[in-house]
Amino acid sequence: MSDAKAVADRLVKAKRLNALLTPPKDLRKSLNAQAAAARPTGVLYGMPVAVKDNICTLEFTTTCGSRILEGYRSPYEATAVAKLKAAGALIAGKTNCDEFAMGSSTEHSAYGRVLHPLDKARVPGGSSGGSAALVAAGAVPAALGSETGGSVRQPASFCGVVGIKPTYGRVSRYGLVAFGSSLDQIGVFGRSVHDAARVLSVISGRDPRDSTCEDRDSLRLPTVPESLQGFVIGLPREYFPPELDPAVRRACDRAIRLMKELGAAVREVSLPHTPYAVPTYYVIAPAEASSNLARYDGVRYGPRFNGAVDLRGLYRSTRGQGFGPEVRRRILVGTYVLSAGYYDAYYKRAQQMRALIAQDFRNAFDRGVDLLFTPTVPSPAFKAGEKLGDPIAMYMSDIFTVTANLAGLPAMSLPIGRIKGLPIGGQLIGQAFLEDEMIEAAYALERVVPETDEA
Amino acid sequence: MNWETVIGLETHVQLRTKSKMFCGCSTAFGAPPNTQVCPVCLGLPGALPAANGAAIGLAVRGALALGCTVHPKSIFARKNYFYPDLPKGYQISQFDQPLATSGTLSFVSPERSVVTATIVRLHLEEDAGKSIHDRFAKGTGIDLNRSGVPLIEIVGGPDLRSPAEARAYLQTLKQLLEYIGISDCDMEKGSLRVDANVSVRRAGETAFNTRTEVKNINSFAYVEKALTVERDRQIALIESGGTVTQQTMLYDAKENAVRPQRSKEESHDYRYFPEPDLPPLVLTAEFVAEQQSALPELPAAKRDRFVAAYALSREHATVVTSNRAVADYYESVVRAGAEPQAAANWVMTEALADANDHQEQLRVAPGALAQVIALVKGGTLSHQAAKKVFGEVAAKGGEPRNIAEALGLIQVADTNVVAGWVTDVLGAHAPEVGRYRNGETKLMAFFVGQVMRASKGKADPKLAQRVLEEKLAASA
Amino acid sequence: MSVSREEVLRIAQLAELDVQEQALADLVAQMSRIIDYVAQLSAVPANGSVKPVVPGPDAIRFRTDEVTPSQLAFGPEEFAPDFKEGFFVVPKLGQFE
Ligand SMILES: [Mg+2]
Ligand SMILES: [Zn+2]
Repeated sequence: MSDAKAVADRLVKAKRLNALLTPPKDLRKSLNAQAAAARPTGVLYGMPVAVKDNICTLEFTTTCGSRILEGYRSPYEATAVAKLKAAGALIAGKTNCDEFAMGSSTEHSAYGRVLHPLDKARVPGGSSGGSAALVAAGAVPAALGSETGGSVRQPASFCGVVGIKPTYGRVSRYGLVAFGSSLDQIGVFGRSVHDAARVLSVISGRDPRDSTCEDRDSLRLPTVPESLQGFVIGLPREYFPPELDPAVRRACDRAIRLMKELGAAVREVSLPHTPYAVPTYYVIAPAEASSNLARYDGVRYGPRFNGAVDLRGLYRSTRGQGFGPEVRRRILVGTYVLSAGYYDAYYKRAQQMRALIAQDFRNAFDRGVDLLFTPTVPSPAFKAGEKLGDPIAMYMSDIFTVTANLAGLPAMSLPIGRIKGLPIGGQLIGQAFLEDEMIEAAYALERVVPETDEA
Repeated sequence: MNWETVIGLETHVQLRTKSKMFCGCSTAFGAPPNTQVCPVCLGLPGALPAANGAAIGLAVRGALALGCTVHPKSIFARKNYFYPDLPKGYQISQFDQPLATSGTLSFVSPERSVVTATIVRLHLEEDAGKSIHDRFAKGTGIDLNRSGVPLIEIVGGPDLRSPAEARAYLQTLKQLLEYIGISDCDMEKGSLRVDANVSVRRAGETAFNTRTEVKNINSFAYVEKALTVERDRQIALIESGGTVTQQTMLYDAKENAVRPQRSKEESHDYRYFPEPDLPPLVLTAEFVAEQQSALPELPAAKRDRFVAAYALSREHATVVTSNRAVADYYESVVRAGAEPQAAANWVMTEALADANDHQEQLRVAPGALAQVIALVKGGTLSHQAAKKVFGEVAAKGGEPRNIAEALGLIQVADTNVVAGWVTDVLGAHAPEVGRYRNGETKLMAFFVGQVMRASKGKADPKLAQRVLEEKLAASA
Repeated sequence: MSVSREEVLRIAQLAELDVQEQALADLVAQMSRIIDYVAQLSAVPANGSVKPVVPGPDAIRFRTDEVTPSQLAFGPEEFAPDFKEGFFVVPKLGQFE
């Protein structure tokens, strides 16, 4: 089937980005088989969708960018993947990512870093950097990523594509390899708002296998609106600090002006607990991760490292050598904050702060704001290696995105201009389960914003 | 020096469900290894738990039967530790917000009559898999069929004062759980497991001393033994000037000894935190009421009712109600017309003995037992003959009266016939007759026995004695 | 350093992670920096009335008790590192460990 061949050819052409972990041979073979089996009546019939390597597929290995799952084939597939296939989509390979989705640059992959499609010295963002880069390079119209603290929106911003993180509980997590279970959601990348939204619509909806997935119908797509008449857009002042890069500020101002011209009302709001979001995130996510990653012990799956003669030796060598440095660091931090004597000071405190952060958003929405608009990331894509030596500096690139994960709200990034040729994204944060309103506003803004113009 | 033992038991009970706690795999016992497994109970990357409503219902029944407060909202938590039979590296359990708290269990202590022990808490959790140590020369085999099977953990207060008392507590608990049908409580199959917290103190002391936890008590018979060994070890240690350290002791049934758990991972830092994969466990009042109405009459209530309704002694009522099937059987026998005390006597002796020999089957139908009892009461069967009839009915079925007739066991109450046997017996035992007449009247039992023998058990023994007395007196 | 060398070793043992001696000093420094950073949370006055909330449904759903195992596309022998006679095999454990 020539469609499958064309899809594979496009993906193989993007090989230099190191965005795809699936070998070309496996890809071609599987795409042929999938295309032959795909349901012609499906709403995504023939659409290739690349899938982040921390989402289980029967096609291809699922390694999470880690040595500890090198060569691992999942004997079952994620609900989101099954829904894509049922809609006629083709699973177009597995994309490179930071190991277990821990990182903001895709430099923490055991299989090498992903190159930014526009500047190979730079990072595509992360952790879903492979998915973002492939969509940006035009290899696929859409891809699945996953979010724990901004891992779809941040690389979408860096690569100049659309990235949507749905409401917590909108998409089943069954088959998404857990990092921070109370924060994780599968998200989507698209060349356009529409491509991203229609993939999201297909993978959304109830799933009895995920107890945290809400018992709701799948997302209904809105139509493209004529104007933004009636929309009230809030601008949280904490997301526009005085030290914000002036070019980022300019790009945002231009987008805000355009939304006003479309008829939206704009008003400043305050989310006072924002400064505590990153530290809150860096307690909760590692704590949950330390427990979620306990199952990688070399007993049931994955490789074993060197010939350990006793059980503890097997555990320690498998985990010590199978996990990379960032994952080890986060497991240790997470174990520390949960350990006897520290739980109240860190974990419990962080959970309370999380409640306050969520309350900030409810307060803003209660005062008549429909959506919030912010920069997605404080800066465009940074250079490879630039933040590797300082974990905190790396964590700071999530500063505007982690809040939506902590509060469980839907949020998305779409391109709003460029700085010295590098894309920059604007973020819309919506109310829980009102993705349709958020997508509606994004449709309108997308039509008018000069996304490749310098800000 | 007088020592007092302080024991609290933590009991894990497998709930009687078809499927596992968090996945749809079968809980059936005895399948080939790793054949009842799926992504969830194997702990595969990306798998998530979905809670079994029936298991929650059975746990609530257990909590209600123990008089616990069942909380409308409880939280699942992760208990983190590494062990190869624990696939996820954590057990989904409950921690600071358990399903139920503060209940009681009353039981008959061998030393202190009735003791009411506190139940501190009852929570839901999932089981781990099994480690097979003796199958491979160089390795340990892991079977995950049991991984994820639903359990309740029942934490008893430090209210038990001897190993024998601990055993009595456990027996009563087991009986209660079997009664309400939430578990088969088979220790040999691992569906009931017990860990014990043990400390000792000098008589009169009120504070608790450092305790140890005794694990690996795999059979009912070992409960008392294991605790006795540990108690004696602690006393000997203190008397020789040592101190007890808090640690886990494993019981070795072969050696009848305890030894400290060897692993260095003794920190017990389980890093509990709320399970983010499961929302709060919210129980509606209707759900709890449904579980309440599914509970049968509990053993203690049944015993009291039997004392009141059937005028049984407390001891007899306790035996008859010790098992739900036996209690139901007893009531059926009474309902079929048997006199309550006679029915209790028969159930406690013949019926239970026969059941004990035949896989706990109560083989004689209640109506048939009532008939046997009536035949004795009416003088048609001697007690001995009735036992024979009972055994025959148990083995082959049939009508008791027909069987008694077929076996020729119907009692002869005709004075002339009995007098014939008496005459024969007295004629054959002249020396004994002489001794009797010289005042050795206790020989009467001997004569009655001989008449029964001569009649092949058919003579009515009371009539035989009356005739004997007459004849022995007449010729004196 | 807010986190000591001994603490890092203790935590690494709890987490079953090998820590190489030559990496230890760096790890202690990095962990201290992260812990110091997140410790700013405790600078915020504690508010006992704040109930921790987590997104997602308010109550657990009850699954029906039916045997409906989700089938594996292939068995453990395909993905397990050591699988013999139906068992996952690990280095020998004592019966009393
Ligand atoms: Mg337990
Ligand atoms: Zn299962």
